[in-house]
Amino acid sequence: MWLNNVVAGLTPGATYAIVGVLLTLMSQLTRVVNFAQVAVGMFGGYISLTLVTKMHLPIFVGVIVGVLVAAILSALLGWIIATWLSEASTSARSAVTVAGLLFLISLAFILFGYRNQPFPTIVAGPLFTLPGGAVVSKVTVVVIVLAIVITVGSWAFLKFTAFGVKLRAVSDRQMAAELLGLNVKMLNVSVWFVTGAIAGITVALVGPSASNDYVTLSSIVIPGAAAALVGAFKRMDLALIGGLAIGAIQGLFAGFPNLLIVRDWVPIIFIILFLLWNQRKEVWDVAR
Amino acid sequence: MLRVRVASQEKWWLPLAIGGIAIAIGIIIAIVIPADSLFRPTTILVASISLMGLGVVTGTAGMIALCQLSFAAVGAWIVEWFSVNDIWGNIFGNFSFVVYMLIAGVGTAAIGVIVGLPALRLRGVNLAVITLGIAAAFDLTLQKTSFPALVAGKHIARPFGLGSDFGGDKGIFIFAVVTTALVAIAITYLQHSRWGSSWKSVAFSERGTASAGTSVQVAKLTAFAVSAFVGGIAGGLFDSQITQANFSSFSPLQSLGMYVLSAVVGSHLIDMALLGGILFVVIPWILQLLKVPLEWSTVIFGVLGIQALTTGSNLGTDIRNGFRRRRAKAMIPTEVGLASSQAIAAVEIPRGTGKVLLDIKGLTVEFGAVKALTNVTLAVEEGTILGLIGPNGAGKSTLIDALTGFLPEHGGTVALNGVSLDKLAPNRIARGGLRRTYQQDRVPPTLSVGAYMRFVSRGQAKPAEIDEILAFFACPPVRTPLSLVDVGTRRLIEVAASIAAKPQVLLLDEPAAGLSHDEHVAFGDRLRQVPSRYGVTILLIEHDLDLVRSVSTSITVLNFGEVLASGTQESVLSNPEVLKAYMGETELL
Repeated sequence: MWLNNVVAGLTPGATYAIVGVLLTLMSQLTRVVNFAQVAVGMFGGYISLTLVTKMHLPIFVGVIVGVLVAAILSALLGWIIATWLSEASTSARSAVTVAGLLFLISLAFILFGYRNQPFPTIVAGPLFTLPGGAVVSKVTVVVIVLAIVITVGSWAFLKFTAFGVKLRAVSDRQMAAELLGLNVKMLNVSVWFVTGAIAGITVALVGPSASNDYVTLSSIVIPGAAAALVGAFKRMDLALIGGLAIGAIQGLFAGFPNLLIVRDWVPIIFIILFLLWNQRKEVWDVAR
Repeated sequence: MLRVRVASQEKWWLPLAIGGIAIAIGIIIAIVIPADSLFRPTTILVASISLMGLGVVTGTAGMIALCQLSFAAVGAWIVEWFSVNDIWGNIFGNFSFVVYMLIAGVGTAAIGVIVGLPALRLRGVNLAVITLGIAAAFDLTLQKTSFPALVAGKHIARPFGLGSDFGGDKGIFIFAVVTTALVAIAITYLQHSRWGSSWKSVAFSERGTASAGTSVQVAKLTAFAVSAFVGGIAGGLFDSQITQANFSSFSPLQSLGMYVLSAVVGSHLIDMALLGGILFVVIPWILQLLKVPLEWSTVIFGVLGIQALTTGSNLGTDIRNGFRRRRAKAMIPTEVGLASSQAIAAVEIPRGTGKVLLDIKGLTVEFGAVKALTNVTLAVEEGTILGLIGPNGAGKSTLIDALTGFLPEHGGTVALNGVSLDKLAPNRIARGGLRRTYQQDRVPPTLSVGAYMRFVSRGQAKPAEIDEILAFFACPPVRTPLSLVDVGTRRLIEVAASIAAKPQVLLLDEPAAGLSHDEHVAFGDRLRQVPSRYGVTILLIEHDLDLVRSVSTSITVLNFGEVLASGTQESVLSNPEVLKAYMGETELL
């Protein structure tokens, strides 16, 4: 029983993990907490939905176009920030993404209407059953694998490829990178493009199983950001673990109806305590 | 040379007068406008109060809090609980709603302090996400538990027995006007109080705040408490209007929207919070009149938000700067600055009283394997100026950090006038009579010169004394905003403010960096007078040897974290070891 609940929590958990890893990447490479991270994916998802249901295009065409739209929207937001806020504080840059989030949600209401339509399913059905009787669906496995691939892939990409090294140089010392002749803006925007595309893919995968109204879907960024917090927006591995753990904890508590309110508070309190312990030496705002 | 302009003194009764006029205008509006049109104006006021609360914690204290509407929800919940259960209805009668609203404010403030606790270690984006997570958890809880009035299936009684009809709406509007005016007046006075200064200071520099004798923890938590109190009041007021709250009015997304709106208008300014409330209500209303889908209003807010944030400005500051420029023409220019100041009578290098005031014994600081300070023993004599010199990296600033409580793990002992300072927090040490200044600019530009002087001196200097000290160091007068003062002069003001705090010992970390040679000389002339004139003993770190020689009773040389030489000017500066360490092998002093 409880194992079933934990397994059921892993699909949203892996989604939080992906979002958490994306947010960590964005924070590290472009100095921003992208509150619109899931919203661009959501918007792309509804574009593909419209193409499939209204214009009767094949699902894969719809999904590809949707992912592209997500990537372009994300890149556009990144371009705005890189153009006008290149020197601004992380807070100001992040606030722009809040405005972008609200913008995309309301635009979705205007363009796609008020009635929620089901997403076309890409992956469905059970994959195997655990000894205890817990059923593991294909979506769960695919999303977890995707989360791990993104985490390991981004880590390897940043560590071993020339492009990755350039990106890290830009994020560490933007001015120095610029003086070395790197096109900082283009590099930044490309990060936004890629993370937007991944968000689009993620929404296309989990959209059918998640509750799919614009606001709920876009709000996945909140538990996603909580997952990123576990790694203090610095470590992708901790964000991955954090996301899966939040999902598993929420699933576990779903089995105890009288603990439903506790369930909503456990992840955030756990994260606050973990961070307070982790940052216990950060008594002052600056090192000196 | 710096030119500033002087304006007349600010009038303390002005906020009260404006609040009174605002209430009068509100009553006229309530009489003139038909009751069925007063719902939106009331909502404007509720939104404005929420924005004022956000203006304290985010606008003034610089901590991004994304849970402002959760505070409103808590306030509404408390008011409903008391109203539905009719706790003190027979005691307070028609005033019971006001009592419940105040309880709601206090209860929400308590929750605000708890929400603010993570802010003591977590900052910036981490804190923003945590407050958003808390808002999300509140939202989920409210979805499940709902509000007391909704659960009980009734509406709460409006304040003062006002009816739930349109006639009652007139009364509710006046109630909202009075509440808004009172909150605005209270926030205005708070902003100008010690708390307000501590919020502005902590937003700029936590270390600077602690060195000014103010607890960073208290500053942050009071900001959260006041913000939450105001949020709770807004929630209660909202409930007096609609009499039955629903979780959907307080969602995390709406809190996010509030934050963007607050950033757009600059809601730490009262008038701009009002403007924000107007925008919040009027834009959707106009769209409704034009039969445009309501979601376009969020699109407009989104675009406005991006525009405001990308230009790095807000409406409030822009408008105020415009006014300031116009007003500046009407003011009389005054010249300030050390270089253009009158020469003062030359004074001898101070001689001490013979009593050891600051006693440092065996001070050792280690950063991992690196020994930054090794067994430093030093005595500062009362009434003197001790010059502390040494090459870059010798450990001079580390010494000051250790003395002022920023490196609590240090070895050895420090005593001020016989009282041990070990293990004391920086703000306690500052209040105990050992003050410091910084190499970096730690003077918050959001304050005026006078507010900063009062904040740092903590009531130790009367207004006349503050004016005198400022004049002595040729600093701009109290009314000047620090944002108009150049960095070199700001650091002089920091020195002046630290002296106004009347510490026993003041540690100056390169106070003259950024000043010209003439200004160095003028600064030295004044510094020599400080021990006798203000009773403040000084330890001076300075690279400019001319300045050190012109003021120091004795000199200590640090090198590689150890005391290389200590004694009178002549003995130290002629010491061959010192020459070698400080000036290189070949150069001569």
